[in-house]
Amino acid sequence: MRIPPPPPVHAGPRVAATDPNPFQPAPARIMRVLDLVPDIRLYDLRFEDPELAQRFAYRPGQFIELSVLGFGEAPFSLPSSPTRPGILQLGIRRAGTLTSYLFDHVKEGDTVGIRGPFGNGFPVERFRGHDLLLVGGGLGMVPLRGLLRFLIDLRHDYGRVILLYGSRSPDQMLFRDELESMGRRGDAEIKLSVDNTAGQPWSGEVGVVTELLDLVELDVARTFAVACGPPVFYKFMLAKLVDAGFGKDRIYLSLERRMECGIGKCGHCAVGYTFTCLHGPVFSYWDAINLPELIYT
Amino acid sequence: MQILRMKTELLPELVTALGAWGAVWAPVEQAPEVFTLERISDPTRARPDALRTILPFKKLLLEPSLVMLEGGRGAPPTVCGNGDRGRQVLLGAHPCDIHALRILDLLLLSDYADPYYRWNREQLTVIGYGCWPDDKCFCHSLDTSTSDSGFDLFLTPLAERTLVAVGTSRGDDIVRANAHLFEAATRQDTRDYLVRLRERRHAFQLELDIADLPFVLELKSEDPVWDEIGARCLCCGSCSMVCPTCSCFDVRDVLDPDGRARRVRTWDSCLHRDYAVVAGGHNFRADRADRVRNRYYHKQSAFVREFGMPSCVGCGRCIENCPTGINVVEVFQHVRGDA
Repeated sequence: MRIPPPPPVHAGPRVAATDPNPFQPAPARIMRVLDLVPDIRLYDLRFEDPELAQRFAYRPGQFIELSVLGFGEAPFSLPSSPTRPGILQLGIRRAGTLTSYLFDHVKEGDTVGIRGPFGNGFPVERFRGHDLLLVGGGLGMVPLRGLLRFLIDLRHDYGRVILLYGSRSPDQMLFRDELESMGRRGDAEIKLSVDNTAGQPWSGEVGVVTELLDLVELDVARTFAVACGPPVFYKFMLAKLVDAGFGKDRIYLSLERRMECGIGKCGHCAVGYTFTCLHGPVFSYWDAINLPELIYT
Repeated sequence: MQILRMKTELLPELVTALGAWGAVWAPVEQAPEVFTLERISDPTRARPDALRTILPFKKLLLEPSLVMLEGGRGAPPTVCGNGDRGRQVLLGAHPCDIHALRILDLLLLSDYADPYYRWNREQLTVIGYGCWPDDKCFCHSLDTSTSDSGFDLFLTPLAERTLVAVGTSRGDDIVRANAHLFEAATRQDTRDYLVRLRERRHAFQLELDIADLPFVLELKSEDPVWDEIGARCLCCGSCSMVCPTCSCFDVRDVLDPDGRARRVRTWDSCLHRDYAVVAGGHNFRADRADRVRNRYYHKQSAFVREFGMPSCVGCGRCIENCPTGINVVEVFQHVRGDA
């Protein structure tokens, strides 16, 4: 499987795969819309240009900018894996003008605009031959799912793959069936937890996701940790991972910022000395510590 | 580099001749000591010697509000050509402006080159002009008080004549097409130029110590000094608008009643309150102090890490235009504990 190498930041000019004009979206057709949980949907998309649909390669953890002219543009991470080219997936929560328009008016068969891929993505080359601990909270499962599928599709390149994922309640859990079957098949070690069962049937753990870490035996010396979740999740999870013995440069996280242009120009995602869209959204915890305001304010 | 001389009285004739290279833009005095960058129709109104225009040249490259894409609602958008301003001549670019132009090039023409900027940049002719500092200039502290490239022609006024440096092939074209305006520079011109250079060096009144400033800022990142400055700052964004290197923008879609839509890019400032708001409403820099600090850190620390130099060129526009009198030099002196 060939995915693009980690993009060098200033080794040579980077060009967006979708168009030489990085502000110009390429039309993509919505092939399928699936309700994951209330107010979060999975969209399958395919570029209308068949050549671009096949050529469009990305790294797990990169993001794209999706737009509908007249209703705005926003960044989204990809829950699909580049090991399965042709169809892109996006996990979208109803949050603002654009996403409300998508939820209310855009149907299967409609066309939207996509620019990208942007950002650095996870250092999957560095992960090769190591165990991977993926920890996710809430919507953080969206980029993690892309990485998880990538690791499983290239199973022999990696050691143990462990996923710890927590959500508020069973009906808020993203990709629940898929994750449970992955666990049953033995593709990955999957541990799920909910803050409370809300009276719904549930066979996993109950409690905060950080507690799942106590349930797994880890060889931290040969493991990389990848964390994705809301700010409060990072606050507790990162401390817990460090306590578990992870070096701060062996913990990676993916951050949300206001990435308007995606190409290091508009300035909105600037944090510390860097642009989240060019140097991130994936940072090691070590980098994060050294950037003011990076994780939470 | 070819160095020529021109009788200063011939300047209006040169301004007229420059019209062959595009629309000529130069400072024009709108009120005593108030200059704006305007399109020149009457060559005698051009004042390339004016120290600073309110808005810098960046308005010639990226308009304050620019339609990037347009199309029918929901249809694939097409590039709007309105941002293409055609060939333009910037007359009166001071060394700080020329350095600022280079900084914008670094930012906008490196990775994911900005085609809207590139259109106008490639069509821009830069005619530099040697200036004389006032009490708000601190370019010498940032090593941007002189420039030996980045212009097509550079004019330095000496008594009754102007020294003309030819920087590019296009500059040479201008000289050759107007050969009657120019003559070879003399050794006296060189001597006078060097005297001017020496006297100009001593004319600076403002000093900004940027030695290890990124590290000093690192040390002071949690310092209450930012709260003090934040309390004074109105977060109006004037400093960003007048800054020759501030190029942040906001992208908004505009939907017309007839269903036509435009994607519009507008100058923005990191001091505006909603600048760092993400989906769901969280604001990563809700406090004024955080936003003020971010702006200074971006200029003097972030850009240094990224490109090896600060993105401030010491033009003094932000000092001149701050409604509450915040002075960038005093801010850094204060941060260092010098004042």
